[in-house]
Order: sequence, then structure tokens, then C-alpha cells
Amino acid sequence: MHRGVGLAAFDREQVSQRFAELSSELSKTQVDHLQSQLTQFRTALSHFATTHRDSIRSDPAFRHAFQKMCLSIGVDPLAGPRKGGWWAEMLGMGDWQYELGVQIVDVCVSTRERNGGVIEMGELVCMVSKLRNGEDASGVITEEDVIRSIKTLQPLGAGYEVLDVGGGKKMVRSVVKELDADQAVVLAEAQVEGGWIVEAILENRRGWTRDRARAALENMLLRDGLCWLDSQDEHYGRAYWVPSAMHWDE
Amino acid sequence: MALSTHSTPSGFLLPSVHSAPPFFTEQPNPNTQAHLTEQWIRLILTYARHRRLFVLRVEDAEVPGGHWDEILRNERINRRILPPYLSSLMAAMVAKNLAVYDPPKQTRAVLLYWRLPEEWADVLHSWATATGQLNTILTFYEISDPPIPSPLSDIPIPLLRRAITVLSRSNRAQIIGVADGEGVRFFVG
Repeated sequence: MHRGVGLAAFDREQVSQRFAELSSELSKTQVDHLQSQLTQFRTALSHFATTHRDSIRSDPAFRHAFQKMCLSIGVDPLAGPRKGGWWAEMLGMGDWQYELGVQIVDVCVSTRERNGGVIEMGELVCMVSKLRNGEDASGVITEEDVIRSIKTLQPLGAGYEVLDVGGGKKMVRSVVKELDADQAVVLAEAQVEGGWIVEAILENRRGWTRDRARAALENMLLRDGLCWLDSQDEHYGRAYWVPSAMHWDE
Repeated sequence: MALSTHSTPSGFLLPSVHSAPPFFTEQPNPNTQAHLTEQWIRLILTYARHRRLFVLRVEDAEVPGGHWDEILRNERINRRILPPYLSSLMAAMVAKNLAVYDPPKQTRAVLLYWRLPEEWADVLHSWATATGQLNTILTFYEISDPPIPSPLSDIPIPLLRRAITVLSRSNRAQIIGVADGEGVRFFVG
């Protein structure tokens, strides 16, 4: 996966070995030149990392640019303390990333009873930010940070995944049960109405049959716990509300 | 369409879930319903404590104008909790020992334990001590309807009796028969 990525790959022993192999092709001066350049590069990076560590943690724009730079030179600062350890030690980014991951899990688990394990990205970012406000008052968490952190959660096998439901909206799933395509459509339509959805919307806007609409909604309600029932709806009598598409102030 | 908390005329802060229309429907999914039952129970007991309401009846969901309207109805979203749902919630509270059917052997009214009988026992004994009424005989009426409002004012007699029973187990009170009712004597704890 991330073996040998980051400057830990360039440890002295490997370097010497590789150069030994190359030495028949290159002259000694060229080899010396390469080695000194690498050392210079390492020093410069180390200086960069310590100087900008705080900026990386607290400024999302800077962090974004930094991540792009890393990607372009093939270095993965995400790699934790054991793999690619050099970056992590210099920046503490691995820890920062994992800490954010833990907070994301915290929010997802605590809202799961309400929304069935699917939470809207905006709500997640907002709640994680509130969690962090106590400690990292200067830091702003962006959607991009959350998405990157969720990637590190995938090995957990708990189903953490970012879902695009269209209309520019993203949801984060934290249960193993996958959303089928119809449920994703229901979620998207529910977003439009602030969480409210009825069979008629799916029939009129998506051309579904009544049976298909009813099946999708009833499965979400009874089987998956992804929506709630309102039996006092003024117009339709029976309406469904998707908590993950509703805007909660608290 | 943001769901937010709301302050009632009586000064109670309703949680944001109370602004969600489906909150007033009993949910068919058991997990969802378990979660919402907890929310309702917490809401009911907190409100009862705020207004010092001791009794909840199915009737409070059938007829408007009672003490519970601020909780059982939400005029802003045109929703109200229906009697069968309220009945289920009452049963859930009784099962969790957060309420008892009172009078017994019926299921239309409960006595709410927004303070457990054990907690009432401590409040009662502290009040008796602080007002210098240890070792004197007090009637139940004098306790539940004192001339100066006390933490025990308006406490229903069945609940008062339970609290006294708790005290009697630790020899801090003794029920005494008096002329036309029941009385109690408190002892140093």
C-alpha cells in the first residue's frame, strides 16, 4: 500500500545499496553529487515541515496546497507513525488525521440512532467542528479534511464511506449495509424538501411506479431505520421524513 | 426548514426534535421507536419537574386545555400526540419504574417519578429537619399543603406515602394513625 513512500524510503542503507548497483553505470562524482543533493533536500524538507507545522494544522487553504504538493512529489504525509514515519514525526499530521478520524466516528455513532447510519456531510462537518472548538480554537475543518480522514477509516471495515447523492450533496455512511440506488434517489429527493418525502414525489419527479416508490420508502423505514413516519401529514396522510436530510439546529 | 429548540410561554425550552412532525407519530421500526421513546420520556419528566406536575393522563392527549398542551401538542407544525401513543409512552415509563399507575389497576393515569421515591424521602426528611419538626406528629395534609410553600407542596398523597415508607425502612420516620387520616413522625437520620 504505502510501503516505501515518504522519505523513510530513502534510508541510508537502501540508498547505499542502490547506489552500489548503479555505480557501474555512473561515475563516482555523479553518485556523490546525487547523494549530497538528497541530503540537502531532506534538510530543506525537514526545515519546511517544522516551520509550517502549525500553519498546516490551522489553515485549511495552506493545508490543501500542502497536500497537493505532497501528491505531486509522491510523498504521503497521511501515512501513520509506522509507515512513512518521517513525515508523521516531523509534522504530526498522522496523529492529527487520526484524531479527526476518531471525532468523525464519534459523531457518526452518536447520531446513528436518529439517522440510521447516514449523515449529511454538512451536518457532519458542523458537528465535528463543534467537538473540536474546545481544543483547536484556531483550526477550521473543511469537507476536504473530513473526506481525506474518512479514507483512513476504510480499513476499519465498518463501512465508512462518502456517498454522492447528486445535487451537489454528499452523505457519509457509517454502517455496513449499503444504500441501494433507489435509496440514494430517495435521499436526494428528500434533500430538496428538507427531509420530507412521499411516494407521489418519486412517481412524479422520477417516473417511478407506485409499487417501486412504496417499496423503497417502506424498506428505508422498517428494514433500515433510515427514515421516520408521519401519520398526520395534512395532504398525504402518510409521509416520510429522512433525519439525515433534515436540518437540525442542535 | 431548520429544526430548532423553542421556548414555551411557561419558560420551558423544547428540544429541536419536538419541531419534527414525525416525532408525534408512533414509529413502526422498533429501533427508531426505542430511541424516540427515550426522547419523549426525558421530555415528559423534565417538563413535569419544571411545572411540578405529578400526574399524566391519557385524557391529556384527548382533550386540549390541560397542563400538558405545551408538550403534547405543537401548534406551529400542526401536530399532536395521539392517545394510543401517549398510552404506550406511559406504559414504557411504568416499565422503567419512572412512573406508576395511580390509582392501581387502571392504565389511564400515571404518577410521575421526576424524582424517585428515594429522592423524595431525602427531600422530605431534610425539610422536616430544617423546619425543626423532628419528633412531632404531622398529618399528611400538613406536609402536602403547608402554610409556607415547601419542596413538598402539592405532592400527591400516594407519593408522599411511598417516601415515608422509604424513610421508615431506615428508621427515619414512622406512620401514625391520627384522628381522621394518617400522620407521620420523623426521627433524626
